Amino acid sequence: MDVSTNLQLMTAGLAMGSIYALVALGFVLIFNAVGVVNFAQGEFVMVPAFVAVWLMDILKIPFPLTYLITVVFMGVFGIVFQRIAYYPLRHRTFLPVIIATIGVSIFLKNGAQMVFGAEPFLMHRPTPPDVLNLAGVFVDPQYIVIIVCTLALLVFQYLFFEKTSLGKKMQATAQDKEMARLLGIRVATMIAITFVYSSILGAAAGILVGPIFYVTKEMGGMLGLKAFCSAIVGGFGSVPGAILGGIFLGVVEVFAAYYISSAYRDAFAFIMLILVLLFRPQGFFGEKIAEKA
Amino acid sequence: MLKVEGIETWYGAIQALKGVSLEVKQGEIVALLGANGAGKSTTIKTITGMLKPAKGKIEFLGEDITGMEAEDIAEAGIACVPEGRRVFAGLSVMDNLMLGATSRKKPSKAELDRDLERVFHLFPMLKEAEDRLGWQLSGGQQQMLAIGRGLMSGAKLLLMDEPSLGLAPVLVQEVFKVIKEINTAGTTILLVEQNARMALLIANRGYVLETGRLTLTDTAADLLANEDMKAHYLGAHAHVKEARERRRRL
Amino acid sequence: MNPRAAKPLLLAALALAVLVFPWVVNSSYWLNMVNLAIGFSVACLGLNIVLGYTGQLSLAQAAFWGVGAYTSAILTTRLGMPAWGGMIAAFVVAGFFGVLLGIPTLKLTGHYLAMTTIGFGIILQLILINAIWLTKGSDGIPKIPSPWLGSYELKDPGAFFYVAAVSLILFTWASIRLKDSRVGRAFLAIQGNEMAAETMGVDSTYYKVMAFALSAGYAGFGGWLFAHSGSHYISPDTFSFDQSVMFLAMMVLGGNGSAVGSIVGATLLTLVPEVLRFLKDSYMMVYAAGIVLVMIFMPGGIAGLVRTLPVSPRLREWWHMGSEAARQVEIAAAIAQPAAAPVSPGSNGTLLTVKRLAKYFGGLKAVDGVDMEVRRGEIQALIGPNGSGKTTILNMLSGLYIPTAGEIVLDGANVTGQRPHVITAHGVARTFQNIRLFGDLTVLDNVMIGQHGRSRAGLIPSILQPASQRTEEAAMREKALDMLEFVGLRGAEFAEAKSLPYGRQRVLELARALVSDPKLLLLDEPAAGLNAAETEALLDLLFQIQDQGITILLVEHDMSLVMNVSDHITVLNFGKKIAEGSAEAIEKNQEVIDAYLGTEAGNA
Repeated sequence: MDVSTNLQLMTAGLAMGSIYALVALGFVLIFNAVGVVNFAQGEFVMVPAFVAVWLMDILKIPFPLTYLITVVFMGVFGIVFQRIAYYPLRHRTFLPVIIATIGVSIFLKNGAQMVFGAEPFLMHRPTPPDVLNLAGVFVDPQYIVIIVCTLALLVFQYLFFEKTSLGKKMQATAQDKEMARLLGIRVATMIAITFVYSSILGAAAGILVGPIFYVTKEMGGMLGLKAFCSAIVGGFGSVPGAILGGIFLGVVEVFAAYYISSAYRDAFAFIMLILVLLFRPQGFFGEKIAEKA
Repeated sequence: MLKVEGIETWYGAIQALKGVSLEVKQGEIVALLGANGAGKSTTIKTITGMLKPAKGKIEFLGEDITGMEAEDIAEAGIACVPEGRRVFAGLSVMDNLMLGATSRKKPSKAELDRDLERVFHLFPMLKEAEDRLGWQLSGGQQQMLAIGRGLMSGAKLLLMDEPSLGLAPVLVQEVFKVIKEINTAGTTILLVEQNARMALLIANRGYVLETGRLTLTDTAADLLANEDMKAHYLGAHAHVKEARERRRRL
Repeated sequence: MNPRAAKPLLLAALALAVLVFPWVVNSSYWLNMVNLAIGFSVACLGLNIVLGYTGQLSLAQAAFWGVGAYTSAILTTRLGMPAWGGMIAAFVVAGFFGVLLGIPTLKLTGHYLAMTTIGFGIILQLILINAIWLTKGSDGIPKIPSPWLGSYELKDPGAFFYVAAVSLILFTWASIRLKDSRVGRAFLAIQGNEMAAETMGVDSTYYKVMAFALSAGYAGFGGWLFAHSGSHYISPDTFSFDQSVMFLAMMVLGGNGSAVGSIVGATLLTLVPEVLRFLKDSYMMVYAAGIVLVMIFMPGGIAGLVRTLPVSPRLREWWHMGSEAARQVEIAAAIAQPAAAPVSPGSNGTLLTVKRLAKYFGGLKAVDGVDMEVRRGEIQALIGPNGSGKTTILNMLSGLYIPTAGEIVLDGANVTGQRPHVITAHGVARTFQNIRLFGDLTVLDNVMIGQHGRSRAGLIPSILQPASQRTEEAAMREKALDMLEFVGLRGAEFAEAKSLPYGRQRVLELARALVSDPKLLLLDEPAAGLNAAETEALLDLLFQIQDQGITILLVEHDMSLVMNVSDHITVLNFGKKIAEGSAEAIEKNQEVIDAYLGTEAGNA
């Protein structure tokens, strides 16, 4: 058990965890706002990754502009998604909505394949490919970028939700839509903003993680499922829960893959999920949803 | 101030309101009474815009608000204290109150502070609980918060849907006292209640709704004395005491 | 034509269709497709049991399909077992894994459950890929043998079709039978309202695990069909989360809860992509878009669509005429029921003793050391302000909460902390503050479920329906009809419970509680939402119930009801008892007045 290996693993774990946290956040925000479990959330990461790669590789647009365009694109994507996928389903019950969002996920995956082809892409890194040596610990600089950017995003988000009046209105909308309307809060706008912000979170995740993994149509699938696990482990519906759940799962996954088995790497997130649900079903931060008899 | 004419509202295939007309004049407390399922809440939801009437007209301060969106109706000056209180459980008392002012058109900080003071004066316990979150309050405190939030809107017409529901009798009296005070201070109130007696004790006039239709309307005093009312809504005390006497004798 | 005469005719037509099918559809390719569709249908039928009937969202169906396929493949290729043996093994082993999934997920619902089943499925698939010594990993298992019928190898897709078709018919028949039986009702009750089902005597743990096991078994069988036909080759990729999603889509397309719907959905979604292949690259996108559109415009699936056709209600009524239930209702309606004579409650004395009962939720002391006694045959009321602990006490008495401290003794038996269905077996029944009826079920079925604890038919009798089961069902129906007569709900037997007006729903809930012949009836705010006329009717009903020898404990806010119906009143405040006595005594008790009644006497 050597310290520098563990520190490397920890960094990698925090980086992966940050990605999971971002996607889990996107999940939870949409769920809180409109009660929909969006099984296409993973594709919110895949789509911007493809867009970014295309802008960088094919159109040879420099990094900062690529990132900007991708973020704006995803903002628009969020609005379109809300209009086409969420809006017609808003009165449907739980089951049709799950299947529909899964349908959208399949649609997006195959759409990406049709537009970009089936070959996996490699996204250019904004950071140098050489591993940094920080006091004996070898760290991929992209990991640092991921962690720092995620942190910045989370701070911004906290300030927005807790300190601005718009943020409070969005919280109110998430907690009780009808009541918010009765007070004069433009709920349709709040929901649109939620989708836009959730998509932008996906854009951030896609841009940050693209350089580490191959960009393929399947990259979003497992990511989305694990992010979902993160949200539940942290306490479904809780924003800090989604973040901490994601980081926790990222770290556990990396360590377990190294020390226990890399073949079963994907299983660990779900094993954690099952364990948490067995022993603390409300997750770390969830409220016990006790049914009132 | 508010004129409702011939409203017909449907819940899917069920016609909940079959032509309801009522009026609320400035400065009044008007009570809307009726049994569970009579259509009282449906009427409120139609006025606030949460439901759209299939037929009929709603006029507020001379403006036709039929079919308008709920957010616009809130801005027009109608506030609602809904059934079940519905405070924002994850937000603080202060946040809840400030959100109540959303529908106001560019209020100055001074105006908001003044109205906040008014609310705290009416409900001193809310001032103490300023930072507590909605879910941490008791049923009675939540009712006070919901009313305070309604007042923060500066609305001219306050719709109150079953404010006494689920509260212990001693708190019910508190609530009705406060409603009377608010009215005296200048807010017009349309009060929906199952507790007919308490409502009529503070109201000027009343309407009685039965399965979607208005069956009775009169001044509060006359309604209280009305024999039909007594039998159906004001508690069948004499009736029931007889039943028990009969049993005792068996 | 009488539906009873029609049934055998339909069966004959079906048999004929199956027999000639492989001659009519000559192509090997399409027969293989049909066999595949049948295999999928069986898996969907399984999903229909766990999700459609019991309401548990399981997204691991493909994993069980895989377990069944691999179990049989390994046994037949490695150990030389005949395919029929593999078939049984597939069903059993998959069923066992279903139990494995069912047990840890008992307390989970909705998306928590969905995620857990997804996780389970993914873990199983990873095992299939990585346990190379057992499953040959990603290489898969080729050359899976066909089943033999005597000396005839069922290798030709047409020949295998018979196996598949017969199995499908049997599984469908079993599913349909199951729905209208004691076990089926238990499943539906759990979906409708699990808490209420538990208090009706339904052991939800047992039935949920049973549902998972059954559905997994079905899926495993489907996997067996898949492995021993077509390309006779399986590999782990087929048994992925995407495939589970496919099963879900098939089932929902067909119509959640409809056995025949599952078959239609599975067949359509197997055959349609074949037809769409000409679209090449974009066919998956069209397929996916199609699924989304169906969910938007037809959430009830095809079965839902069929139900809205104008001819449907008449057809359903005609088919229904032949059922036992309808016959019994007709007969009962023709006979006038005599009024029930008053019954003495038996020996006097205490029925329920509660000592130092407490319930703490973290730091909140909802109930803080309460002593109570309910005498046999009396009507006692439990009153107090909101949050004083009344409903918490009722919940502990009915087993929905486990007490933190104290003991509950019912008729000499210590029932502290027992599960709801156990307490119900001791003779307790209850109603709820917010009505907890099984809204989608009929009035009659609601009352039938109330007798769950007093009846016995298990899984096999519920499917096979031997004479003993039918006798039991008839007796239960008889009793249910009597109860409906008693509470005044005659004529509404086949109406959907949720379609009744509010006051009658309350009465139905009462009937459902009474039908289990309880010693103690717990009522949680029975007068909530009733107007004065309905409250008076309730009052009469309560007295009639008391006349039947049943003891009543009610929680209520409506003082006019409480003061006039109660023999004894207990008053709570902040989790403690502050007073008890007769109505007259309580009315005058100063502490009670301050805490609760207020100075305005006579709140309506």
